[in-house]
Amino acid sequence: MARLDQMAESMRAHLAHLPCPTFADHPWVEGPPLSQRRVALISTAGLHRRGDRPFEGLSGDYRVIPGDIEAGDLVMTHLSTNFDRTGFQQDWNVMFPLDRLRELVREGFIGSVAAYHYSFMGATDPAAMESSARNLAGLLHGDRVDAALLVPV
Amino acid sequence: MGALAHYLETERVATTQISLIREHTATIQPPRALWVPFELGRPLGVPGDAALQRKVLVKTLELLEAPAGPLLLDWSEPYGPAGDQDASTPSVWACPITFSRPPEDQSELDRLIAACRSEVTELRPWYDLGLKTSGRTAVVRFEPEAAFDLLSQYAVKGEVAAESYDGPFAVALRLAAQDIKAFYFEAVASRPGGSPPDSAAFNRWIWHETALGQLLKAVKERCLSETDEALRQTGALLLVPLEQA
Repeated sequence: MARLDQMAESMRAHLAHLPCPTFADHPWVEGPPLSQRRVALISTAGLHRRGDRPFEGLSGDYRVIPGDIEAGDLVMTHLSTNFDRTGFQQDWNVMFPLDRLRELVREGFIGSVAAYHYSFMGATDPAAMESSARNLAGLLHGDRVDAALLVPV
Repeated sequence: MGALAHYLETERVATTQISLIREHTATIQPPRALWVPFELGRPLGVPGDAALQRKVLVKTLELLEAPAGPLLLDWSEPYGPAGDQDASTPSVWACPITFSRPPEDQSELDRLIAACRSEVTELRPWYDLGLKTSGRTAVVRFEPEAAFDLLSQYAVKGEVAAESYDGPFAVALRLAAQDIKAFYFEAVASRPGGSPPDSAAFNRWIWHETALGQLLKAVKERCLSETDEALRQTGALLLVPLEQA
């Protein structure tokens, strides 16, 4: 269970000291009803296509994941050894719920799934991710995405 | 994660997110977040539980229809099989594979390496079976034997050529460690008639019952003795979980 007060002291201290910025403003973007939204997944699990470059450090870079990717082609090279990977090994949806999103489209709960999804290396200092995130926003607009679903690890 | 949401929302992309560490999300205050009580590495809950995953997704997406924020909603429903929610409940799982062990007339490191080589050899058929059945593996760059060779040779004599990866050696070591652990899990999870270990049982097995766990700790110690900063950092943080150090 991911509660700091229930973790071993070594892990609790590690997580408690990760950079955690605060912001003076609270942006808020409205959009159409969920049934019309186009949803992109944005993961911080260090996921990428099997043939893509592994994540090597904390530089704030990201990888592009095509919307038609299949489970066998998605791998993970997140740096940390402090989270469970066996769930992902058994079922990619526990970390990258693309099958579930596709089902929600078929049910009409959401409008569509984006043509591309993205993954960062979590635990990176947020300041190092800012410029990548702002560039990514342009790509999301280009893909007509009006709902970014962020999934941590 | 919360900062990413803030940056994207500032650029006019509506965001919603899952939160695993509530304290972080409460500090950053991203626009919309659902805190879930699941284990790190399992933001959607339980592998194979599509109904639970769907429920998490729906609750997270529904935050997009809220009139104002920032919003931090807490997951409040029970989930998973009984016992999964209590971290103090010891999981019961025993690996059915008894590894052969090398003779006593070798140095401690040589015995460790020989034992790990035996483990890889004895697990390989199970891994192959699992791969044939599922068509999927989390192994990324290093075949099990190549990962073992790299880790064991480094433990004995320091930096060596990593044929499966042409990037920095410290990264090669980390990828080899990740790949060989993925191999061990997929091998034991694929044996017929059993269920995969949960993460606590798998970690207990790897770090306390296998030669691989001891070899990775030996690699860590060697890394910590290096002058190269990347290797020192890898040894300090990226090979052995903090809870096992």
